[in-house]
Amino acid sequence: MDYDPMAMDDAESLGPVVKISQADSVRVKFELQNADISFANSLRRVMLAEIPTIAIDLVEIESNSSVLADEFIAHRLGLIPLNAEGVEHLLYSRDCDCEEYCEHCSVKLTLHAKCTGYENMSVSARDLVPVGDRMNQNLGTPVINDKDGTGPLILKLRPEQEIKLECIAKKGIAKEHAKWAPSAAIGFEYDPHNKLRHLDLWYETDPKTEWPPSEYAKWEEPPVEGEPFDFDAVPNHFYYNVETAGNLPPDGIVAEGIKVIQQKLAGLIHELTEGEGEGGYEGPRSPDYNSGPDTGYGYSTSYGGNGGNQSAWGGGGGGTTPFGNQTSYGGGGWS
Amino acid sequence: MAARPDSEDIAMDDAPTSHQPEVKDDAMVDDEGLDVDENENGNEYDEEEEEEEVQRIKLLPGSTETAASFEFTNEGHTLGNALRYFIMRNPDVEFCGHAIPHPSEPKMNVRIQTFEGTTAIEALEKGLRDIQELCDVVTDKFVAAATDFDKKKAATA
Repeated sequence: MDYDPMAMDDAESLGPVVKISQADSVRVKFELQNADISFANSLRRVMLAEIPTIAIDLVEIESNSSVLADEFIAHRLGLIPLNAEGVEHLLYSRDCDCEEYCEHCSVKLTLHAKCTGYENMSVSARDLVPVGDRMNQNLGTPVINDKDGTGPLILKLRPEQEIKLECIAKKGIAKEHAKWAPSAAIGFEYDPHNKLRHLDLWYETDPKTEWPPSEYAKWEEPPVEGEPFDFDAVPNHFYYNVETAGNLPPDGIVAEGIKVIQQKLAGLIHELTEGEGEGGYEGPRSPDYNSGPDTGYGYSTSYGGNGGNQSAWGGGGGGTTPFGNQTSYGGGGWS
Repeated sequence: MAARPDSEDIAMDDAPTSHQPEVKDDAMVDDEGLDVDENENGNEYDEEEEEEEVQRIKLLPGSTETAASFEFTNEGHTLGNALRYFIMRNPDVEFCGHAIPHPSEPKMNVRIQTFEGTTAIEALEKGLRDIQELCDVVTDKFVAAATDFDKKKAATA
């Protein structure tokens, strides 16, 4: 990192370090070192809420004789994780040229099930069938990870009951609706020994015995008994535990998260540098922008006395009446 | 806008008609060295209503070269806090802070005050570029760590 020598005395100038401690198909645990907490938190927030994925957004129900209401089923369908492989090539529906939706901005799935036997029947995500053209063969396919291979249960049908519907899955981010969240959970932790006292642990008699140490406690030096509090210490090691909902691989979530931050920044830098000189200053602004320092905040009038509190009718000090500082009861104002 | 504190009841005729100067007089020219085109009352609705891409950074009134407030649309603490920190790291910056004025408006304000020699806009741009640079490094490190992890796993398996 190219930083000024003035700022070279902290750990951050060493450059960030990433260590992966565990990784499989559902989670990745890693540690970020030598970064500031503000950046670490940005990464966490972006992975939670701003990574684009795909989820069912429109449901057209043709027939539903199940015991569940249409909107109830539509809500459940929305929450089913769909494979988001290649979602970056999918357009947001609002940016697409089409009328409502098309293969460039959506994936269509159908569900048709009827219970013809004598026993109740389960309808699960496996029964959702993607139809029509897709970006690739995986985009929009329901994620199925359980050992039975059925995926999440949508509803159950009694004999002779039927469900027939069509779903439109669209691209979106979790900021808009949680169904687009790529991660089931993100663990985020720092300072396992609470050396920085960012936590005020509640306890009955002794916090040491009542609060079991975190799994990261052995990664850091335990506090020495009687050690004075370090007022200059800042958090420097951040432990993430990113667990996927199945739509993106866990390491993909981290990579996408950083990418989203990058895109955000690139967009802003573009606007900032492009608009320099003229464009940057356009846009609505309050009309008193140029009317001098006195009226800059809009609270004083053009009758403006010295301070904002005064009117043209007032005298000197704050809160005066036409009677001056004295009331008719003869007191000396505020004393 | 807040009511003027301590204002008395006054006759209608004596009341100021408006806070906005009706005629712009010369004493009130912009002395802040910014290239400002006048936005008269009302004409902000004439041009570009939802036509072009929405402007995402705005310079707020009262800003000067070295002390400016920016308003970001559709940004939050995710960017705000990191940006604040990175701008504050710049030794030419005297002060930087961020705020979300109201939780139901998608707006984030950043205040930057710099020392002489640089401008608030430059400091903002440097801040953004610094985060970008850090993102690049973290991506590289993460990819390296992931391949490393895979190798180790393959070796032990």
